[in-house]
Amino acid sequence: MTGTTWQRLKSDPLGVGGLCVVVLFALVALCVWSGLLGQGWSEVSGERWENASSDHWFGTNLLGQDILQRTLFGTATAFEVGLIVTACSTILGTLMGALAGWYSHSWLDELVLWLKGVLDSIPFYLFAAAVAFALQGNPWAMHLAMIVTFWTTTARIIRGEVMRIKEREFIEAARAIGLPGLVTVFRHVLPNTFHILLVQGSIVFVAAINTEVILSFLGLGIQDGVSWGLMLAESSQEVLAGHFGNFAAAGGSLFLLLMGFNLLADALQDALDTRRAIR
Amino acid sequence: MNRRYITRRVLYGIPLILGVTFVSFLLMVYFGPDKTYELLGKNPTTEQISEVRRALGYDRAFLLRYGDYLRELVTLDLGLSDSSGEPVSVILKRTLPVSIALVLPGFILGNLMGLALGLLAAWYRGKWLDKLVMSASVVGMSVSFLVIIIGLQILLCTPYGLNLFPVRGWQVHDLGSYLYYVTVPTLALVLVTLGYNTRFYRAVMVEEIERDHIRTAQAYGASPRELLFRHVLKNSLIPVLTRIMFSVPFVVISGSLLLESYFGIPGIGLVTFNAITSGDQPILKAVVGLTGVLFVLALTVNDMLYSLVDPRVAKP
Repeated sequence: MTGTTWQRLKSDPLGVGGLCVVVLFALVALCVWSGLLGQGWSEVSGERWENASSDHWFGTNLLGQDILQRTLFGTATAFEVGLIVTACSTILGTLMGALAGWYSHSWLDELVLWLKGVLDSIPFYLFAAAVAFALQGNPWAMHLAMIVTFWTTTARIIRGEVMRIKEREFIEAARAIGLPGLVTVFRHVLPNTFHILLVQGSIVFVAAINTEVILSFLGLGIQDGVSWGLMLAESSQEVLAGHFGNFAAAGGSLFLLLMGFNLLADALQDALDTRRAIR
Repeated sequence: MNRRYITRRVLYGIPLILGVTFVSFLLMVYFGPDKTYELLGKNPTTEQISEVRRALGYDRAFLLRYGDYLRELVTLDLGLSDSSGEPVSVILKRTLPVSIALVLPGFILGNLMGLALGLLAAWYRGKWLDKLVMSASVVGMSVSFLVIIIGLQILLCTPYGLNLFPVRGWQVHDLGSYLYYVTVPTLALVLVTLGYNTRFYRAVMVEEIERDHIRTAQAYGASPRELLFRHVLKNSLIPVLTRIMFSVPFVVISGSLLLESYFGIPGIGLVTFNAITSGDQPILKAVVGLTGVLFVLALTVNDMLYSLVDPRVAKP
């Protein structure tokens, strides 16, 4: 990211707001990982369905566990899912897209496009169910299902960008001095796609957090620990009896984090001017 | 219509269909759970085991088993459900109409409203109306489907809110009862798709409005209505239709999966949800394989229709 981009991002109040929200949640996640926050998420510290009080800011759940602690721990879960899925699917998508774009219109390109076409044709939740079915209760089935399907969009964007960049003069110069193809791709082509990856990465992050909620509700998601999705699934039984603690805490945090990321992604897109490529 | 183009589209569809069915075969039949011991009594002999494995087709070669799966999908002879013992094709035939009745109004409303709002924002781009619509759509995109469903349920179906609609269920026998049960799911579907739709349609419309021929038409004194309907909407028909075609299977399956399992509506989504939780392999492999194949078929037909509407598409 260059200095001008940072300047442009700083002059966008909504983007700065989004960044602050994301950083705040990331700090909470860091504190949970280092053992400073949310460690009592599974302890029974009160009665069943206590109302909000100074001891339990959002009350307690069916088992008498503190909802605030669970919400804090859920932040770490959200970041864990988001980071793993974003990192893996971005790397996979970049490699596939770079290969397809560099060797465009070859059999390799056709193969990547075919694979993308196949994966895009299966409705995602069904694919996640199928992966969970094949792995029979493996806790990483959810992550794997997301990684295997989320790379396709990144690959499509990178493929187009690589095809555009490889026509440029500096690539011709690299070829003229006899640089091997793959070296050129990694050293001279891919660094020029970094800004696109940044924006696409934040979009994938949002999708991963959003998807975790739905999959956890369907019973295909997080199995150990607690997540906002599991809390919302719990709350679907409780709201009918008038207990809104889980719903307010998990739904509210989820909304704030997603909103922060959406605003940040939009501001980044404007600051880096990648709207054309992403769309 | 260009015959070579059609042939090419069909040839392109075949490897996709083979790929989709192969992925679902691999995940759910080949690596899926071994059902041998579920069907056997206690202390089975080696002969009994091999007999059951033969009956289930486990001893057959990999490619032959894949061929069996393809044949099942083509002939719609999908076997019996593990949990109810009913033929899978009968279950699908019974539940699909319910799902379509459930998601269709929300799907149409979500797209029409998205189109209208997108057009409005594009027309007044840069003005406060545009900013208002776009901010609202970012807010809409940030609310999870599950949060929307639970929130609407609290607001509309419980004594803590207006308490106008049923908490769950689907006892539909006439138009009144249909509206009674379909309203809340429809609202949820509209709210969850509206943000994404509005943004997409605005982007398409802005691109179209900023083209040179629109400016020319404007300079020649075309009225705003004529500009919008004759020039902008007509020319952006292809990306709009593509998006609608593309999202049909996803909305029907993914939308109904969550809505039906939440509201207890006996459609294809609830059947799939129950199959997921109970590990009912015959239903799952049929639903995954069939939706994949139908999606590729719809895509191919879609591309062919375009070459009729717009000859530019068929160019190599």
